[in-house]
Amino acid sequence: MRIKDYDPTLASHDLIQDLKWDKSLRQRFQQHEASVLDLYRLRPEERRAIEARDFGALYDMGLHPYLGGQLSRLIYGNDAGKGAILAVNKLVESLKGR
Amino acid sequence: MGEIVFAAGVPHAPSLVGLFERAPAGVQEVVRASYDALAAGLRAARPDVIIIFANDHITNNRISAYPDFLIGTGDTHRGPFEWFKEWIGCRDWQARGDRKVADALFRGMTRRGIRMFAADDLKFDDNISVPVVMTDLDASGIPIVPVMQNCTVPPLPEQERCYEVGRALRDIIEREMPAGLRVALIGSGGLSHEPGGSRYYLIDEKFDRWFLDLCCAGDHERVLKELTFDRMEASGSGGTCELLAWVVIMGAIGKCRGKSFGYAGHVDFRCGFGAVIWDLASAKLAA
Repeated sequence: MRIKDYDPTLASHDLIQDLKWDKSLRQRFQQHEASVLDLYRLRPEERRAIEARDFGALYDMGLHPYLGGQLSRLIYGNDAGKGAILAVNKLVESLKGR
Repeated sequence: MGEIVFAAGVPHAPSLVGLFERAPAGVQEVVRASYDALAAGLRAARPDVIIIFANDHITNNRISAYPDFLIGTGDTHRGPFEWFKEWIGCRDWQARGDRKVADALFRGMTRRGIRMFAADDLKFDDNISVPVVMTDLDASGIPIVPVMQNCTVPPLPEQERCYEVGRALRDIIEREMPAGLRVALIGSGGLSHEPGGSRYYLIDEKFDRWFLDLCCAGDHERVLKELTFDRMEASGSGGTCELLAWVVIMGAIGKCRGKSFGYAGHVDFRCGFGAVIWDLASAKLAA
């Protein structure tokens, strides 16, 4: 997806911003993901895509790719020494698998 | 009347810190030489303040209410913001701000029809943290005024508008900042990269070398004509447009020759690397 095709109304954008900004929400997301997803007005297909780690579907819905990369790091790890490589590879794998 | 005494463009990829030690020796040499030249040049210029334009990376505001330019007006700036610490892998830093300069910038841009926003307490990721720690700017004691730029959320200010912002920046420095104020300018971002995209590992060396050559030649006509949004997107969606921060600086300094310190396209960095320091005296010669 090109960045100019993002959908600014997608609730996932706010979810990702809040996870970046709020450590306690982030911890809750890691332990009880569903309870955090309940806080946002996610479309049913949007929520299913997050739960399935289907970044391709999220991008098709209009998730901004920069925040998509950050969502992958929020899920798969953010470690600098490893270059967040797992998160990068999982993301690319999902996007290229479509 | 203030004066621009230093100007440079430099990438800020987080891996320049986090993965530096694991990079090949030749890559490390280019990164180190570039940042050492930046650090030495800054100190030699004896600036009273450093204004840094850099991609905000959707860090300070929601995508639904996103400013094109956000000036840091605080007396102190700190980074990296908590979530970015392990990702960048750099030390914490704290630098003095300059509220008077930030306010003059905000006021001056507004009066020139350029909508900017301002806030004291900004969150910083690699955009400011990497240049600060790679040059030990915080230890220098030189105040910084960060300007967080929208290089990621379309519609965004493209090359012509960014150049206009740069011209306004120069006008404000020369007309509305205190007499004798010495100002350094840094454009932080680029080169080619695609964070979050399917081409996450893309580095477009041909594009990067083309851009660095234009910067070094001071060829602003071609920059303004050819460094389009679509051209940058083709060389890395959502990342390469950070070069618009360099275009602001080019608008401020006018046509100058520049010096680069080599190029590195290391795939693990997921970003092309090369910096330029502009020779401000060459603009005076051309004039």
